[in-house]
Amino acid sequence: MPTNAGTSLSSYKHIVAIGTTVKSESLESAAYEIPRKRKMRSDSAAVSGNSVSTPKKLKSHRPSSVPNPGMSEKEVVEDSNEILRYPVNLAVSDCLGTKSKWSPRDEEQMRAVKEALHVSKAPSTILCREDEQIRIFEFVKGCIDQQKAGSLYICGCPGTGKSLSMEKVVQQVGDWSTQAGLPPVDTLSVNCTSLSKTTDIFSKILGEIKPGKNANTNSSPLQHLQNLFSQKQESSSSRMMLIIADEMDYLITKDRGVLYDLFMLTTLPFSRCILIGVANAIDLADRFLPKLKSLNCKPMVITFRAYSKDQILRILQERLRVLSYVAFQPKALELCARKVAAASGDMRKALCVCRSALEILEIETRGSTGPESQGPTPDDSVVRMDHMAAALSKTFKSPVVETIQSLPQHQQIIICAAAKAFRGSKKDATVGELNKLYLEICKSWMISPAGITEFTNMCTVLNDQGILKVGQARRDKLKRVSLRVDESDITFALQEIRFFRNCLL
Amino acid sequence: MAATPSSKAKTFQSPNKTPTNMYRKSYLSPSSTSLTPQTPETLTPLRRSSRHVSRKIDLGNDPIDLPGRESIQEINLTPRKRTTDVVAETLTTPKTKKKKKIDVEASFSPISPNRSETITKKKKKKKRVYYNKVEFDETEFEIGDHVYVKRREDANSDEEEEDPEIEDCQICFKSDTNIIMIECDDCLGGFHLNCLKPPLTDVPKGDWICQFCVVHKPPPLQGKKLAKRTMREKLLSGDLWAARIEKLWKQEVVDGGCVYWIRARWYIIPEETVSGRQRHNLKRELYLTNDFADIEMECVLRHCFVKCPMEFSKASNDGDDVFLCEYEYDVHCHSFKRLAQLVDGDSDSDQEWNGGKEKEIDSDDEEESVCADSKSKRGLTGVNTKGRIFGVEKVGTKRIPEHVRCYKKNELEKAKATLLLATRPKSLPCRSKEMEEITAFIKGSILDDQCLGRCMYIHGVPGTGKTISVLSVMKNLKAEVEAGSVSPYCFVEINGLKLASPENIYSVIYEALSGHHVGWKKALLFLNERFAEGKRIGKENEKPCILLIDELDLLVTRNQSVLYNILDWPTKPNSRLVVLGIANTMDLPEKLLPRISSRMGIQRLCFGPYNHMQLQEIISTRLKGINAFEKTAIEFASRKVAAVSGDARRALEICRRAAEVADYRLKNNNKTAKSQLVIMADVEVAIQEMFQAPHIQVMKSVSKLSKIFLTAMVHELYKTGIAETSFDRVATTVSSLCLTHGEAFPGWDILLKIGCDLGECKIVLCEPGEKHRLQKLQLNFPSDDVAFALKDNKDFPWLANYL
Repeated sequence: MPTNAGTSLSSYKHIVAIGTTVKSESLESAAYEIPRKRKMRSDSAAVSGNSVSTPKKLKSHRPSSVPNPGMSEKEVVEDSNEILRYPVNLAVSDCLGTKSKWSPRDEEQMRAVKEALHVSKAPSTILCREDEQIRIFEFVKGCIDQQKAGSLYICGCPGTGKSLSMEKVVQQVGDWSTQAGLPPVDTLSVNCTSLSKTTDIFSKILGEIKPGKNANTNSSPLQHLQNLFSQKQESSSSRMMLIIADEMDYLITKDRGVLYDLFMLTTLPFSRCILIGVANAIDLADRFLPKLKSLNCKPMVITFRAYSKDQILRILQERLRVLSYVAFQPKALELCARKVAAASGDMRKALCVCRSALEILEIETRGSTGPESQGPTPDDSVVRMDHMAAALSKTFKSPVVETIQSLPQHQQIIICAAAKAFRGSKKDATVGELNKLYLEICKSWMISPAGITEFTNMCTVLNDQGILKVGQARRDKLKRVSLRVDESDITFALQEIRFFRNCLL
Repeated sequence: MAATPSSKAKTFQSPNKTPTNMYRKSYLSPSSTSLTPQTPETLTPLRRSSRHVSRKIDLGNDPIDLPGRESIQEINLTPRKRTTDVVAETLTTPKTKKKKKIDVEASFSPISPNRSETITKKKKKKKRVYYNKVEFDETEFEIGDHVYVKRREDANSDEEEEDPEIEDCQICFKSDTNIIMIECDDCLGGFHLNCLKPPLTDVPKGDWICQFCVVHKPPPLQGKKLAKRTMREKLLSGDLWAARIEKLWKQEVVDGGCVYWIRARWYIIPEETVSGRQRHNLKRELYLTNDFADIEMECVLRHCFVKCPMEFSKASNDGDDVFLCEYEYDVHCHSFKRLAQLVDGDSDSDQEWNGGKEKEIDSDDEEESVCADSKSKRGLTGVNTKGRIFGVEKVGTKRIPEHVRCYKKNELEKAKATLLLATRPKSLPCRSKEMEEITAFIKGSILDDQCLGRCMYIHGVPGTGKTISVLSVMKNLKAEVEAGSVSPYCFVEINGLKLASPENIYSVIYEALSGHHVGWKKALLFLNERFAEGKRIGKENEKPCILLIDELDLLVTRNQSVLYNILDWPTKPNSRLVVLGIANTMDLPEKLLPRISSRMGIQRLCFGPYNHMQLQEIISTRLKGINAFEKTAIEFASRKVAAVSGDARRALEICRRAAEVADYRLKNNNKTAKSQLVIMADVEVAIQEMFQAPHIQVMKSVSKLSKIFLTAMVHELYKTGIAETSFDRVATTVSSLCLTHGEAFPGWDILLKIGCDLGECKIVLCEPGEKHRLQKLQLNFPSDDVAFALKDNKDFPWLANYL
């Protein structure tokens, strides 16, 4: 899909989301050029109270699938306008009937859906992060305008679009500076995990500032940088530099020297660095760099919150909008969004779940082609709620019960013994004590017990499975064992077997 | 290099060094010295134009004719001027070589003949005399020189006669030395300048490709072409070998003569490496190996010149026998290593070596061991022994043919063979569902035009077929690739246990993708470019890459950056990377940092432990067609294993052991047993062996006093109910036991020693520190085990009363 359609489309969405909070200046900026007329219209749409989460609104994205009696006249017009306005969708609007004819048997279509849902495929615009993006952009713009250094720290949970937003901001800054006639901004994006040594970041920065002059052996790159920024330079080299350190917490050393030096670079009198650090920890700067506060160079912090269910739903819809057919039931998407938002708000996970739901459907249809080759019923051709529920349960369900049920008998006896032992206030025991309990159970049920070495082996296997926790000790016998799963889980898992039911009573 | 005389010229060979190094130098740039045959071609600057200078190895010809003279010179430390010694070059044909051989051998020895005489008298043929430089067939060979070596004895006899020194023109099939010849950079064929159409007057600069290679057609073959190949062609087609001389020595033989030997370090052509010829290999590229062999001097044909890339590019006029060697190849590990400035380093070490021990007399005993382990695959070098027997000939022992060794196996032996863990099963039962899932996953990822990166985590307890399932899926996929239904991909398999450190995984991956070995930091840089930024490594283009990491949990470092990087690549747009991770722990993703588990995705696959039905099926599919096991025996074994661990390896081991037990049983009472099958009792024995811990065996076999000691400990434990006891109390119990049963009490110190011995075996846990009366003791194993081990004791039946 051409990007112009995408941008304008999403800018429409963006206004819906943010409503009046959007500053007019940002709209005038290069990235947010929107015709006035459209803005008005979308504003009115927002006023009309279209919450994205309602199924009614969902249907509006696919006007052709089911004629919705609840849909207002305005929306219908809007939708058709939308389609007409974007030439790509024109073909779709021509054959409205074909839009729903998505079939999972068509490999080409399936591939397209999977691609749209893949993590690596960055959407042309980022929904639901406009506020943060604007703040970052404003910060960078302010720094460049005033020709002063600055530092910014971005934090948020994994999968909340931090790195993706940063890419977009860099793009925006580039566009803006060329439009404003400013010299281009040097940009250095470093993923700190890929540095082989933490101090390598300074040589990278130096290499960016002065390419080819890295053969300076007398002083370390850091000293060189500090010298460079503490003296006044001739105006020719007065280009600003944007440093983006992704996964910044990998720079934390024992004495926090590297991180500290990095932030201190921005405080030097003639520094031209705009430092943007990205990491998960919310209080990285507070925790590790309390000194910065006293020096008054504490970085500004922007937090990326975990996505809410509405946001996840909108992003998923946006991604699927590229396709000219319907692959997911709206309810199914909503279910996915709700579940993921409740668990972690991780967008990557939501995409994975959608994909695995799609695969479940694929397997189902492939299986059904064999027995009944005649025409598929139309309703099984999209991802329904049950597919999504299956995918979700595959992802989020705790595997403990099934694991316990599939264990060999003697290992089950060990768990049983452990559950009995830790029923009271006791929290852990040594391997020797547990072995005694195990032998007791074996004896009472006339089972020949396994030897002590075998027993220790089984304990290690259970440790690997995450059911027991075996501590460290010099001798096998003295290792401390504790249970890592809830006793009720064990009881539930083993209640099918009469032997253990009696055992656990 | 050492073109200048070194100041360390103390030893009597060092004056000689200057000239020898001059030889070397002369090979590099023959036109600079007067030694080269002054053919017109040597004057032209480009090296391809000088094909027929190859004869100049003969100019390795040292004019030193009389060994006596040379040794005198050396002793007198008279620096010789090479230029004055140059004599008319003689064309040595192989025929003359053979005739001259004996004279040459007799004629030369750099050390004084008297001395070597005395030595050989003292120890008959035990001595070897080592040299730095040997003149043989009027050619001087020195340590560090590169030579051609005959490959087989049978092949050389007739070919040697018509060994062309000069290559023929590919068009006129004549070898006219007066016309400048140009070499094609693609096929290495030689062309006379005036035979070309249109004829060239001058050698063009830069690469030149002949008309045949332009249209990708082989040049027309003439009948005699095959017979008259140059040595370079023979080497590159594998009919000759190239080697580096590592040692030179003379060995006396029984009938009075002496034979010269060299220790050769082989070069191989790219085709002989495990990866075959790669696209980046040059036509004249060789690999240095770590494969050595001792060969007789007679197999050495003549010099060739193997150079490092820098010299190779500089070498302009070196004729046909110039080769490039940039990497060392390990023939055992099949790995490549870049040679660090081969020539510089070598010349240094050579000098030192020359100065230090310039001749070395060694006894044969020490040498034998070296010979024994140099069993190289090239042992069958053309050693012309003529009935004489050398110890070194053991090198080429013939392998016993398969059909001689294999006799008719009976059913039990067949069963044992198929039950070996190393035997790959033909099919994998009970894992079809998991394999289907893996296949679907991989295919779904690589079949798309734009391969989308993904991760999958496979976990399960040991012995549940995780790795073998993935590998057999990959094998099936490979078959599909060959059939053309799946586009090609590259597959990298890494075992986390085999990495020296987690970071090394980068260099392993990079080496697998590109064939070059670099350090991990550099490899990380390259891989980041490859996966994150989409730059391609070399020519390995758009192929998707499947990375299988076994024992993934070993890659967890302190800050987990290795795993982060590897799992982050698939989320990049152009990575085309599919990662399959295998580990035992179920909850590895949960133990990792959230940012890593977020990137890992949700694709999980669990290999649960096998239940007894599955184990039974696995064993019976392995034993299909072999009637060696009773059905109940298999069931018994599988049930036993399934109850404890569900490990298929263990089940197979038990069955194999049971087959051995049955074999033994049937051989002992032959013909009395009615059935030749493995029965339940055999399995029972095998299980007893397998599951019964070794401590029972140890306790059964300890000395009588130790048994009494252990019994006393158990008794003490029963009496007091406290696990820990002191030596004092045990000793008292022992004495009372001895007293009541009429045994002699051995005394305290012996008892203390017994206690310590048991402590060493870890049957008893002793309190650390000095051994004394109040030392605390504790049984390391449950008292029931001790009781079980000591119960049916024939020496002291009364022990059972106390257990």
